[in-house]
Amino acid sequence: MKFTITREQLQEGLGAVAAAIPAKTTLPVLANVLLEATKQGIRLSGTDLDIAVSTTVPAEVDAEGAVTLPAKKLVDIARELPAGPVRFAAAGEARVSIECGRSKFKLLGLPREEFPSFPAVKFDGAWKAAAGVVHKLVGHVAFAASTEESRPILNGVLWELRPDRMRMVATNGHRLAKMDVPAKGGSTADLIVPPKALEQIRRLFAAEDAIEVAKSDNHIGFRAGGTLVFSRLIEGPYPNYEQVIPRENDKAATVDKAAMAAALRRMSVVASDQTHRIRLAFAGGAVKFSVQTPDLGEAQDELPVTYEGEPLEIGFNAMYLLEILKYMPTDEVRLTFKAPERASTVEPVGWNDPASYMALVMPLRLVD
Amino acid sequence: MTAKIAVLAPRVADQIAAGEVVERPASVVKELVENALDAGAGAIRVAIENGGRTLIRVSDDGDGMGREDAELALARHATSKIRDPADLIGVATFGFRGEALPAIASVARFELETSPDGRAGTRIGVVGGKRDAVADVVRQRGTTVTVRALFFNTPARRKFLRAQATETRAVVEVLTVLALTRPDVAFTLTSDDRSLIDVPPAAGQLERVRALWGAGLADTLLPVAHCEGPLEVRGFAQRPAQARPAGRKGYVFVRGRPIRDPFILRAGEAGYRSTIAPGDRPSLILFLDLPGDAVDVNVHPAKLEVRFREKFFVEQVVEEAVRRALGPLAAAAPLGVGGLGPGIGGAWADVGAVAPGGPPGELFPREPLTPDTRPPAPLLQVFDTYLLFQTDSGVAIVDQHSAHERVLYETVMRQLSGDGAPAQRLLLPLTVEFTPPELDAIETQRELLRRVGYEIEPFSGRTVVVHTAPNPHPRFDAARCLQELVADLAGGRFGGWANRLERFAATFACRAAIKAGQRLELEEMRELVGRLLTATLPAHDVHGRPTIVQLPKEELERRFGRS
Ligand SMILES: Nc1ncnc2c1ncn2[C@@H]1O[C@H](COP(=O)(O)OP(=O)(O)OP(=O)(O)O)[C@@H](O)[C@H]1O
Ligand SMILES: [Mg+2]
Repeated sequence: MKFTITREQLQEGLGAVAAAIPAKTTLPVLANVLLEATKQGIRLSGTDLDIAVSTTVPAEVDAEGAVTLPAKKLVDIARELPAGPVRFAAAGEARVSIECGRSKFKLLGLPREEFPSFPAVKFDGAWKAAAGVVHKLVGHVAFAASTEESRPILNGVLWELRPDRMRMVATNGHRLAKMDVPAKGGSTADLIVPPKALEQIRRLFAAEDAIEVAKSDNHIGFRAGGTLVFSRLIEGPYPNYEQVIPRENDKAATVDKAAMAAALRRMSVVASDQTHRIRLAFAGGAVKFSVQTPDLGEAQDELPVTYEGEPLEIGFNAMYLLEILKYMPTDEVRLTFKAPERASTVEPVGWNDPASYMALVMPLRLVD
Repeated sequence: MTAKIAVLAPRVADQIAAGEVVERPASVVKELVENALDAGAGAIRVAIENGGRTLIRVSDDGDGMGREDAELALARHATSKIRDPADLIGVATFGFRGEALPAIASVARFELETSPDGRAGTRIGVVGGKRDAVADVVRQRGTTVTVRALFFNTPARRKFLRAQATETRAVVEVLTVLALTRPDVAFTLTSDDRSLIDVPPAAGQLERVRALWGAGLADTLLPVAHCEGPLEVRGFAQRPAQARPAGRKGYVFVRGRPIRDPFILRAGEAGYRSTIAPGDRPSLILFLDLPGDAVDVNVHPAKLEVRFREKFFVEQVVEEAVRRALGPLAAAAPLGVGGLGPGIGGAWADVGAVAPGGPPGELFPREPLTPDTRPPAPLLQVFDTYLLFQTDSGVAIVDQHSAHERVLYETVMRQLSGDGAPAQRLLLPLTVEFTPPELDAIETQRELLRRVGYEIEPFSGRTVVVHTAPNPHPRFDAARCLQELVADLAGGRFGGWANRLERFAATFACRAAIKAGQRLELEEMRELVGRLLTATLPAHDVHGRPTIVQLPKEELERRFGRS
């Protein structure tokens, strides 16, 4: 293996894969980046076994071949090198010399055979999506996935692909986020994707890229330009969330998002660290906030709202509400309710976007 | 007709009195040593032979007596310690009845040698209550009482004496207790020429404890110092994690007087609620001080009991005093106690030492660690189980599960007795399957389950559906916690807990807490440690294990040769 590459190309390639390489690992080869010199250029790959990223950057290849090198050292070297062409040459199966100007390094790697092979995902017949659309879906939904490990399905984000739309849904069993965007073509599929993989998509692909998405039995692959991302899929089926989305909420309040968030934050100061329980009382043209924490104290606040329906008192985890408000794309939001023990919804008001978005939050039991 | 009633001859009266005061050799030692202490002795030597049957000798270097006093001392109701009933209130001496010496002398071959000045001395012999000789002797200042052939003239009593080893043990016990009350006095005890106790004058009670029982016990003790109204409680309570089911020491002193009071000890143990494994008995050494008129010391022939005017109040304050002793972070076990190596653990060991001549207010000069709700960075998690951080005086190592258990236990106790925890309604209700006994447990504990946050309804067959769940931390697994909690309740785990609420809270806390092996975010660690430090009993979990182990800075310095 022998090739010459510019420092910038090397840094770009490493930057793409380095984030997929685990900082701590029990399998030494996973701390390495795989370098493959082919006629197309240099392919760099990294994986933590859950997610794999690979990208190809142009280079002048004199002799093909492959080797793995410690990712962190390589990144550090690339950063410190002077500008100019960098020459890589394999000396034996796991020893590489790197030269740039008068700087010379010899790095010990591991044979490429030890590097795990990538999942076989075929991209023929792949779905196509604008990266910007996927970013929007991920950016508004992934936060709601569970971080607790007892129900692995809820750790994932459900991605529904339909002939006329794409939808993402995530929930931790206490709150849920869902977004639909119109789409054209493609077949029907339900994928449960780890948020970590979606995070890589957001990081690696620019909004204007066209992404191809393909799946095998238990993997999903994304491709745009010379960059590929693979991830394990989480095995389904995803819980029947449609059934828990309330259809008959007959009370609705429209509030200013920033004012509501500010009031919630004020209340949280006095809410218990553990449950963040606050009480909201809607009646007439106002919502009253109140919180009482034994051993600490209490607080009240009030905001004007447009409210239709019978008066209602309901308890929430303030953190869940605040988080949902953070992702709401409009200045005003609409909340709907049925009863103090039933699901509430939050939606943007007057969002000028083809997408439709809603979040749902389960109340906390109130005690009187 | 001659009268049927006769006033008893003094000798008979003395023997009857002896029946109450002098039960066994240990009671003789107790009376004689108390007399020596009352006489201001600085060193007291006790020798016994054959468990005290053959010989008991108590020598002191106290005030001694002149001839006239010595003769009077042996008369019934002769005492130098009180004059009229009013003096009984708040009496500060051990003796006040003027009964002990004549009683002992009436049931033994008795000899008193005493000198008030180290020149002229008196020897008086008494055999079975009959004075046989008064003679001049030359001796040092002080008094020596020799009691031979105890109960030689009351065979019935003698028959009740136990094996020599048992009687010897009773003597050791009596002297140990008196040695605890007066650490400033030196004590020795020899039994058949074997030395059983030899303690020099000590600077404080803890030093005396160490001299009597060794560092093995002393290093497990936490200082008790609490005052409420007229009552002051001082002394030592054992660290919960070091309490064992057997072999504990339990001593109560009132106004410097050793007493037997199981209720006070029990009140002290109640202070350990929720910090100790059921069945473990912590060592407690408690010195109660209160005004003389709040306690009657003259209610028991051997003065082993006292009567408090407000017994309930006393018990309450004792419980509170012990509870407070367990509170501060310093109550956390230092690294090494329990035998990692010699000398380790000394850093907390002198907390109870009395500075010689220091004002009594500084009996326990060490400040408890001030709980800072924000643990200082860096905060490090190791083995995904322990959290390390720096404190004012060393390195604290926290067990994340135990710590969270303690925090949750305290929260849950409030919720169980108050109006309940905030329960999170579930978007996707859980269905969980149980065995028939578990379903019974759910039925009987339904209200408590509801208060911690579980609203459960029967579903079908053995399955229940869960509509609401607690949410104590982001990694909380509501279904698993419920399964384990119900299995524990059905299986009688924590059965040793007397109180149903406490049992439930302990079980819930154990099951709901963050587990060992869970990696935590920095923010989570901060919150956990912060909440632990503001808990009432941060240093102990609900199973009697420590939540915090301290590596004292002094110990690091010692190890690295910096001290
Ligand atoms: N070791 C001693 N040194 C000096 N005086 C002593 C000593 N032992 C006894 N006495 C004197 O003898 C008196 C009688 O002692 P005795 O023990 O019989 O009665 P007490 O100590 O006054 O009361 P109690 O019966 O409650 O012990 C004491 O009051 C004290 O004055
Ligand atoms: Mg006496």
